[in-house]
Amino acid sequence: MNARSFTDRDIHLALDGELPEDERAAYQAWLEANPDMKARSLRFAADNAALRGLFTGVLDEPVPARLTAVVKGDAPKRKGTPPWWRMAAAAALLVAGGLGGYLVGASGFGFGPDSDDRMAELAIAAHQTFAADKNRPVEVDGSDPAYLTGWLSKRTGLKLVAPDLSVNGFQLLGGRLVPAEGSTAALMLYADAQGNRISVYVTTGGSELSKGTYTLAGGGPEAVYWQEKGYGCAVVGTLPPAELRLVAKDAYKQLLAGAGLSQS
Amino acid sequence: MEEKKAAILQEIPRLRRYARALLRDRDSADDLVQDCLERALMRLDNWRTGESPRRWLFTIMHHLFIDQMRKVKRRGEAAVLPLDAGEAMATPAIQAESAASREIVDALQQISPDRRAALVMVAIEGFSYAEAATMLGVPAGTLMSRIARGREELRALLDDQARRRTIRIVEK
Repeated sequence: MNARSFTDRDIHLALDGELPEDERAAYQAWLEANPDMKARSLRFAADNAALRGLFTGVLDEPVPARLTAVVKGDAPKRKGTPPWWRMAAAAALLVAGGLGGYLVGASGFGFGPDSDDRMAELAIAAHQTFAADKNRPVEVDGSDPAYLTGWLSKRTGLKLVAPDLSVNGFQLLGGRLVPAEGSTAALMLYADAQGNRISVYVTTGGSELSKGTYTLAGGGPEAVYWQEKGYGCAVVGTLPPAELRLVAKDAYKQLLAGAGLSQS
Repeated sequence: MEEKKAAILQEIPRLRRYARALLRDRDSADDLVQDCLERALMRLDNWRTGESPRRWLFTIMHHLFIDQMRKVKRRGEAAVLPLDAGEAMATPAIQAESAASREIVDALQQISPDRRAALVMVAIEGFSYAEAATMLGVPAGTLMSRIARGREELRALLDDQARRRTIRIVEK
């Protein structure tokens, strides 16, 4: 009956479904006759189940936008983009491979000093709290931009303008004051005709120039931020990455011009 | 073209799971998946229509993983960690990670990359020995011994952790 004798190799074969059907009965009999082999088999089976159980949750996680963007081809390309933009895109997505065919490294998420990360996190938190509020997203509405920015400027100590983002389809809803790291930030909310909301978060920032994009590890809206000359800004929203970058760039230019800072 | 892309999109959750088991840290794992997707899209022609993209994508990702491991070895661990490593490491690899599951994940990371990849492909991803051997580019016999040794190693590491835990409890 027993065509062959079994060894501990067969434990792995059996566990991985590689043992031929007609050998299984003999294998079972061998296990029963060898308690140490049976114990081993049970232990491996338990470790296996634990391993599998540990990672099944990953299948249900939402796929990060940066991964689908690669396949759909709407990840920003490096070529032909303005310099400040190239930096942000490189830091955020490492899309180098899209054109050049070679990736700089598997992990280069260099966000620079921690203060930008913190600012981007606060901006995302403010966006998630207030942009989601259908009825009362702002404290002061945008019907009188001069009044709004006057108030926000006074409270944040920054020279602020409300960027006009209508070319991008976004209208100013209004603004409010929100907490910043050790200070106060201005949050200006915009909406487009489809009801998408984005926010422009402005606060005092570091003097070191830094630019980039940020998304919480769990996903959610993306922040495109920069810090420069004591001025920090993040544009937050859930838009296709390329679109959000365009809007952010526009807002960035206008805020800099409004504050009388030249673009570096 | 669009059909191919749609088929690739469907494989992303599986690729993410494989990467997470290989690398533990969520951001590094997703970076690996992203590298894999970028490379795959550049070489869409290499993928024969009618064939499942899964094995093709897993093969690409495995090569990238092994390359990366070689670089780690050459340059030292820090070279491939993100700049904000402190933060990345603090992010649990798995939601609500319990002490027990952390021990298994830790143990898995200590197994040599070749054995880890073989074990994860078969035990977690459910590929057959023949499929895994093809994707890893090794003979079936080599694959078998990697799996057997990988499992032995995992068991020994877990036993070791359990023993240390017991000693800690006794010392209190």
